[in-house]
Amino acid sequence: MLAVMVLVTVFGPLIAPYDPSGTSPDSLAGPAAAHWLGTDSIGRDVLSRLIIGGRTTLLITFVSVALAVAGGLVLGLFSGYVGGRADQAIMRLLDVVFAFPVFLLAIAVVAALGPTVPNLILTIAIVYTPRLARVVRGPVLSVKRWDHVEAARSVGVGELRIAVRHVLPLVVSPILVETSLTLAQTIFTVTALSFLGLGPPPPDPNWGAMLSEARQFMELAPLTVIGPAAAIVFATLTFIVLANGLREWLDVASR
Amino acid sequence: MTRLVLVRLVWMLPILLGVSVVAFVLMRALPGDFAQASAGTTELAPGALDILRRGLGLDRPVWEQYLLWLGRLLRGDFGDSFITHKPVLGELLPRLAVTAELTLIAGAMALALGVTSGLASARLRGRTDWLVRGINGLMLAVPNFVVATLIVLLAGLYFPDLGIFNYTPFATDPMGNIGSLLLPAFSLALAVSVTISENTRAAVLEVSSQDFVMVARAKGLRPGTILRNYLVRNALTPVITATGLQLASLLGGSILIETIFTIPGMGQYLFDSVTSRNYPSVQAIVLVAASIVLLVNVLVDIAYARVDARVSYD
Repeated sequence: MLAVMVLVTVFGPLIAPYDPSGTSPDSLAGPAAAHWLGTDSIGRDVLSRLIIGGRTTLLITFVSVALAVAGGLVLGLFSGYVGGRADQAIMRLLDVVFAFPVFLLAIAVVAALGPTVPNLILTIAIVYTPRLARVVRGPVLSVKRWDHVEAARSVGVGELRIAVRHVLPLVVSPILVETSLTLAQTIFTVTALSFLGLGPPPPDPNWGAMLSEARQFMELAPLTVIGPAAAIVFATLTFIVLANGLREWLDVASR
Repeated sequence: MTRLVLVRLVWMLPILLGVSVVAFVLMRALPGDFAQASAGTTELAPGALDILRRGLGLDRPVWEQYLLWLGRLLRGDFGDSFITHKPVLGELLPRLAVTAELTLIAGAMALALGVTSGLASARLRGRTDWLVRGINGLMLAVPNFVVATLIVLLAGLYFPDLGIFNYTPFATDPMGNIGSLLLPAFSLALAVSVTISENTRAAVLEVSSQDFVMVARAKGLRPGTILRNYLVRNALTPVITATGLQLASLLGGSILIETIFTIPGMGQYLFDSVTSRNYPSVQAIVLVAASIVLLVNVLVDIAYARVDARVSYD
């Protein structure tokens, strides 16, 4: 499933049968040989828009989660490894961010910055960083007390090198699982924001906006709704399955 | 116990303060001029903006602005809406009530659905377990706004006379009001019920394997009695905690659901405020929602400690 998604994302423009923004005279057409999933209210090919829209949606998802993981790693590793006052300060700061419902915070930040692709990526990275930081910090707290860390220190290895080389590799498993879960949730957040009109600006298609636009005419052309809905579910399901698979494979205790 | 409650509530204060800082910074970080935004599209004389800025206190240092804003906030003054020029609080409260009702109905539905399916899945095992977990896994991947859209689509296709878009105010028709919220609440409840179901299943399985249940079975108590008095009572504690912690996602989800079903709640207010760049309202909503989530989390902590004597937070 992941492979299908990655392939479609990378080679989207080659696969898509039509220009996603190009219109044709027959609007709201049902499925036919020319348009497999029919056309939308101004005659754009739904399948092409799904493929190209997926590129935008998945691009935002992957980049923002990568940023959140990077931020969470640095913050969590620092906080957990250094400990003491710095740890307390960072954790209280994160408590503040935790108090906001994720989606609400995302709406407020995107609204403040303006809905463009870079801003969306930044917003989602900010919103999910605290959670990843917490997932990283937990195991770091226990691993840093292990003997091999003490041994490294006694032979004079630098603190930064210990943190990166001797602690980080041992906390990778929970991070991988949490990352794939965050991917699933980010799909939700991205599509939900675009659904509300806070996504990438038109005419570039994306799944959330397609679903929202299609609602107006959905009784006439149910496929325009079902297409993006199925795409969103497929992507989310992929990441959840990935998370479960990783959890079993890496044997991370479920919380 | 009293000490625990006090400690928890006092801990809330610095976090609330932090929340207010974030809400304030968000407002100041906005591109463009606050005075300009507040003036709206009206054409102004060159000096007028300066006067307006002074009127809004924007010529003072930022920390002083924050303290002033905080001071007014403590007196319950959230500022005036840019659109209607009325106090935000007066506009927010009736909408908060609608959202609270929607969230409560959804919470109750999720609890009923989740506990029933979780219990069935843990007790009946076999095919039921397999079925429930399969449906749960699938449901987890369906976002609530997709559920809501599909419900509206199906209703439009097959029951055009149902009129699910007609939100009825509570004052005019209490029963009609609850009825009009059932489908929106259901689309909100579905994803949350999955979490509850999985939690219930895990908790019941864990309790079932404990000695006192085996003793009860060995001395010949009826399965129904065991289920009621031993299993449900002990398994429900973590379930209730999990439900409380889902509140944040219910609140966030209500924004989407209210927009789809055109329910005049807080979510729709937020959406309208965001699209019309009505910043004081956005800040007020963010602040209120965060406070509610914080308060509920503290209540969940306290309830947990009350039910389970083994828990202590020292």
